[in-house]
Amino acid sequence: MARLPGSGRVALAVVVGLWAIAASTPLFRERAREIRLAERLLPPSAAHPFGTDDLGRDLLARIVAATPISLTIGIVSAAVSLIVGFTVGATAGWFGGAVDLVLSRTIEVVLCFPLLFLLLAIAAFLPPSPWTIIAAIGLTTWPGDARYARGEILRMRELGYAHAARTMGATTPRILIRHLLPNALPPLIVSAAFGVGWSILAEASLSFLGVGLPGPATSWGGILAAAPSHILEAWWIALFPGVALFLTVSAYNLLAEGLRTALSEGGGRV
Amino acid sequence: MIRYVTRRLLLAVPTLFGITVVVFLLVHLAPGSPGLAGEGSLRRPTGHAAEEMRRLYGLDRPLPERFAKWMSRVARFDLGESFVDHRPVSERIREALPNTLLLNGTALVLALLIAIPLGVIAGGSPEGTFDRASAAALFALYSMPTFWAALLLQTLLAVQLRWLPLYGVASDSPPAGAAGLLDRLAHLALPVTCLTYGTLAFIARLVRSGVAEARAGDYVLAARARGASRRQALWRHAFRNALVPLLTLAGLMLPALLSGSVIVERIFVWPGLGQLYLDSILSRDYPVILALSLLTAAVTLLATLASDIAAAIADPRVRDGTVS
Repeated sequence: MARLPGSGRVALAVVVGLWAIAASTPLFRERAREIRLAERLLPPSAAHPFGTDDLGRDLLARIVAATPISLTIGIVSAAVSLIVGFTVGATAGWFGGAVDLVLSRTIEVVLCFPLLFLLLAIAAFLPPSPWTIIAAIGLTTWPGDARYARGEILRMRELGYAHAARTMGATTPRILIRHLLPNALPPLIVSAAFGVGWSILAEASLSFLGVGLPGPATSWGGILAAAPSHILEAWWIALFPGVALFLTVSAYNLLAEGLRTALSEGGGRV
Repeated sequence: MIRYVTRRLLLAVPTLFGITVVVFLLVHLAPGSPGLAGEGSLRRPTGHAAEEMRRLYGLDRPLPERFAKWMSRVARFDLGESFVDHRPVSERIREALPNTLLLNGTALVLALLIAIPLGVIAGGSPEGTFDRASAAALFALYSMPTFWAALLLQTLLAVQLRWLPLYGVASDSPPAGAAGLLDRLAHLALPVTCLTYGTLAFIARLVRSGVAEARAGDYVLAARARGASRRQALWRHAFRNALVPLLTLAGLMLPALLSGSVIVERIFVWPGLGQLYLDSILSRDYPVILALSLLTAAVTLLATLASDIAAAIADPRVRDGTVS
């Protein structure tokens, strides 16, 4: 595999750092939940580097405590989206004909809805839990991957090695997974890396709009949801959780860009 | 050309049907009582009242029967009444639509006006100073959550500097004449900015890669050899190469803008379709949810049709299927 460009390596370091922070959250969980009404809406100081929120909870502790949930939802949703997208796209591309026609219409149907409309409907109607959010994001963002996988499989099924595998009696799932998937993989990995950033944003938007995670298990979007009501007196509630979100999404996007460069220079082999 | 358009139109029919099925199933398979708040709310009807709601709105009928009834009403453009205020859904949509059109229309035009020159100049000298700087800036915009940008702009420009109003469509008692127009523009500035930058980044990157790719092409070189200036070669010849992917994706910018509109309208208290949709989701106002999802998806389908046909006019290779 070709080497990541410099920006990609920095991004990778940031991502690793974020996961390290996520691993340290048990130390902060106690303080993140501790309500001290006497210390509500305090500006940043030595005691509270990021200030406190409307219930006197330490904002730094809350942001750190929310790290694992945002990162996990991002990764798992992107994986769900990739699996659904590849399955649908590869099936359409491999079988062609009526199967392709039906699946391609399905892809089109999903693409026609504003994504947030679908996300809101699913997230608001299913019982609130991280799984609901993951299902909502995974089941709405797959069409992009599906379109891509369909095109790739359509192109590759006529190549020599696909014919050879078929002649030797390999079953369809075996040809798709053993022979074609590895070759369609590099661009799908890039797409999945972008998908992680995107999913983190989607989860934050849902939580910000009030249909995300319930209770004390808030994410960065959930912390930001309190910012509009205190915009006049507490700018720190708007600033710091957003910095965490922006940093994370940028790191994943930059990593995806880096992977794209590295993989295209490496001749498309992982 | 006629064959391409016919084929495209015929393919849109099953897609439209698929859209209606998705919309209908989405809302009708969902738990929670319509018209009132969800689980655990004090306003949730119980016993007799809940039964009455079910009967009144036909919620006790089997799913296919409700679908058939709903479809026949939709076909006559009868979208039903809101569960919340019992006004016709079409009336509520008509009230919100102009606000959303103003917001999204302005944002789209601004995004195109800024992004196209940016993309052409950056793509004209790839890896040059301008290209690198704009790529970094666009990348940052691309990764920036809309609601965070909105909160920061509000804090800086409305709360700290007091240059612009915090939210709303206009002042409570707007001044008359030119001052009134200025008041409207001041209220429009922040929400439009928040809605523009994401689309702008997307379009500029698209144009840049199209121009950068075409720039080294023989036909651009030939144009230069015939004596076209650098600017002419870029705009008249290389830019055209970027136009086709731009046209193809234009239809899909609509749902992206509307997604952004939900967030922006919420933060800036802008009474448009996004705000209406979020409110109806939170109060389980099924008729409004059904109508708005159907409407936006159908309009998007029309827009993608139009953009596909426009791309086919611009590029013969799209017509005969050489490129998609």
